[in-house]
Amino acid sequence: MFDIAGIGKDRLHLAWVSSAEAQRFVEVVTTATESVKAQGKFDPKAFSFELAAAEMTLAGETLRWMVGKEVKITTQGDVYGRKWDTVSFETILDAVLEREYQKNLIYQAVKEGYTSVRDINEKIGLDLKRISYLLADLEKTNKVGFTGMKDRIPVFAVL
Amino acid sequence: MGDFEPRIVAFLCNWCAYAGADLAGVSRLQYPPSIRTVRVMCSGRVDPMFVLEAFKDGCDGVLVAG
Repeated sequence: MFDIAGIGKDRLHLAWVSSAEAQRFVEVVTTATESVKAQGKFDPKAFSFELAAAEMTLAGETLRWMVGKEVKITTQGDVYGRKWDTVSFETILDAVLEREYQKNLIYQAVKEGYTSVRDINEKIGLDLKRISYLLADLEKTNKVGFTGMKDRIPVFAVL
Repeated sequence: MGDFEPRIVAFLCNWCAYAGADLAGVSRLQYPPSIRTVRVMCSGRVDPMFVLEAFKDGCDGVLVAG
């Protein structure tokens, strides 16, 4: 998700170090420091939209459900008895993640006063078709509503 | 910005990486002063929200070590 959000996955490091491996710990910290240094300073203000959308995505039920189902679907199979390998499950998970993230990014944009499809596009750079498609989805779940026309442009607001 | 020292929040597992860090200290091994340690009882305790919160508060990177 950090990659989708443009924050870059190189800012996040995960490593396994046992208690007896002081040397390994030093290596891990050094590599992490070098890699983050190469990324430069991080300005949370420049990424406030992305961070808020990422937070919504993580807090939302969709992603949690998917992650919770992973073991069952890849070991016992889905409700139709079909087994899925981890790779195909994760491909689907990535697609769901991207879609949820984009929806939440649009939600954030509308919330901050970018109320037309074109305004949202200028703010977050997603293409117009995708924005209208996802807006329709946000309308269905009662997160965003159509409030009327202004100069022949449809205007939206968060509910 | 010339030679900046990044601020990295490190979530360390009490039983693995934290003890490793402790040993690194005891054995006087040098490592960069960039990390701010948060000790957790297990790296499984780290919620993705913690990571986001760290970035929101302006750290430059996050390290989870177990």
